Amino acid sequence: MLFIILVLAIFAGLYMAWSIGANDVANSMSTAVGAKAITLRQALVIASVLNFLGAVLVGKHVTDTIKGKIVDLSLMSQHDAMLGFLAALLSASIFVTLSTWKELPVSTTHAIVGGVAGFGLAEGGIQAVKWATLGKVAASWVISPLAGGAIAFLMFMVIRRYIFDAKDPVAIAKKLSPLFIALTFFIILMSIFTKTRAGELLGYSMKEYILLSVVISTILGGIGYLFIRKRKKRGRVYDVVEGLFRRLQIMTSCYVAFSHGANDVANAVGPVAVIIAFAWKEVDTAYLLAFGGIGLAIGITTWGYKVIRTVGSRITILTNTRGFSVDFAAATVVLVASKLGLPISTSHTVVGSVIGVGLARGLDAVDLEVVKNIIYSWLLTLPATAITSILIYMGLRILF
Amino acid sequence: MPRVAVGKVYRKKSPFEGLLQHMNKVKECIELLKEGFFRYVEGDFKEFHEVARKVSDLEHEADLIKGNIRAHLPRSILMPVDKRYFLWLLREQDAILDHAENLAQLLDLRHTEIPDELREDFKKHMEKVAETIKEMEKAVGNLKDLTETGFGSREREETKGYIHQVHKREWEADQLRYNITKKIYEIEDKLSPMDEYHLLKIVDWVDDMADHAENVADWLRAMIAK
Repeated sequence: MLFIILVLAIFAGLYMAWSIGANDVANSMSTAVGAKAITLRQALVIASVLNFLGAVLVGKHVTDTIKGKIVDLSLMSQHDAMLGFLAALLSASIFVTLSTWKELPVSTTHAIVGGVAGFGLAEGGIQAVKWATLGKVAASWVISPLAGGAIAFLMFMVIRRYIFDAKDPVAIAKKLSPLFIALTFFIILMSIFTKTRAGELLGYSMKEYILLSVVISTILGGIGYLFIRKRKKRGRVYDVVEGLFRRLQIMTSCYVAFSHGANDVANAVGPVAVIIAFAWKEVDTAYLLAFGGIGLAIGITTWGYKVIRTVGSRITILTNTRGFSVDFAAATVVLVASKLGLPISTSHTVVGSVIGVGLARGLDAVDLEVVKNIIYSWLLTLPATAITSILIYMGLRILF
Repeated sequence: MPRVAVGKVYRKKSPFEGLLQHMNKVKECIELLKEGFFRYVEGDFKEFHEVARKVSDLEHEADLIKGNIRAHLPRSILMPVDKRYFLWLLREQDAILDHAENLAQLLDLRHTEIPDELREDFKKHMEKVAETIKEMEKAVGNLKDLTETGFGSREREETKGYIHQVHKREWEADQLRYNITKKIYEIEDKLSPMDEYHLLKIVDWVDDMADHAENVADWLRAMIAK
């Protein structure tokens, strides 16, 4: 009996990882492919590899959030909890698959939170659910898009004000490029140091990490400047400027892919880890992370392949400066919010950032009707996964 | 059809692209009409029927583009400019073609002999109207740079410069029209009533095209305001 549950859990986890890979690959790579910073094939390889590396190298403590923070497990038996997590996994992954099918970027984190809360509600009643966590999730609906939109808006305003409006946009873009490079690397380094296990392994304090990031990113900015200074590219002025931002955009895209692997692998692996621990024994998380990472990579290469290709052919109006603004905003918000302990969603932030650039007169057209549907899908995530989870849980209870 | 999570947020086609396509039809049409008109003024009516047909074709093609742009602008669309201004601009740009078609058909329906002393004036006037439209094309064409820079002030200044030129040329065209009209009245004893009626009408209708080009420039000016 336990064996069957174990096998089911592993498959469900793999399915969840697959659907996460398929749904979220667009977050990191759509702007880069859309703005023609990289080709489809490159995006595919980069996203798979970096998601996998992010998951394996710096994946978060996988079980913590999923296990303890949503539902009070002390109120139910281990057997019920096991079935519950299986139900949560299945309902979340079905919801994410459907959302991808409906072309709606949802938060996979919210999906799993909703699933777990659902079975908690069914088994332990209202007091079993930790409502504070759900409250924070609700806060993400507002915080993620607003913060992403604000930063992307400001970033694009800065680019317009100081580069596009300058007498010689190319010269000023070259001059400012070390600043943008340094800023990009600062965000990336800070995230790696403070959000991942890499930081814990090094064991410095927050202040030291900030200092270290400043120093390294300044050096990298300087090096970047040496390369860019010599570049002589002919062509339309704005095309040359966009070309300079291309590289920055590739970096931010890579970072978003990497951090996605690091953060969201837990959504698939976490429940599996809990089930294995209950049914068998505690296993080394490294194996589980690798397993989740492979799932993500498969999701990217199977469905994600089509996802990126479609986005690439669809976004004809996104240029590198816009893509950079969106990616930079997403990366920054994810970093700052997670430091503040807010469970924000990359998907939500990216959508908000796109609108932010649109409000800054950066995009030719954004269909707000589509945006409205996306927001509905965010609001729907928790109840939908919770209810599905309850139904699956009841079915599993009958079977096992 | 592969499905994409974020993809729908971005729209496939920029409405500005359509507007520029429409503008290119205007450009093609006015060039054609101007050449045909010059020959017509010289009394060469032979090929004018062909010109009128082509002008009509271009007008129709532009109409299709216009319809397509309008059909793909949903009510809730976020654009860098006011959508109403955008649609008004499109409408006025299309009106240039409507008037070009009317003029070409009028010229084709009745071959009106232009008196010798008016020929140069007619040509000059048409030339000025074509110039007005050309400046308008530059102004509208600069939308590409405007959208690329997120409507930056430098490109806005450049557009304003073209708009100013449109106004200047349109005013000059008005002067020419005034002078021609005056001359027509001066020689009216020599003209048959039908000829006089048609000469006056031709001048008016040539001038109408510049008026609509000016309207386009005005809507553009409103569009790029901060």
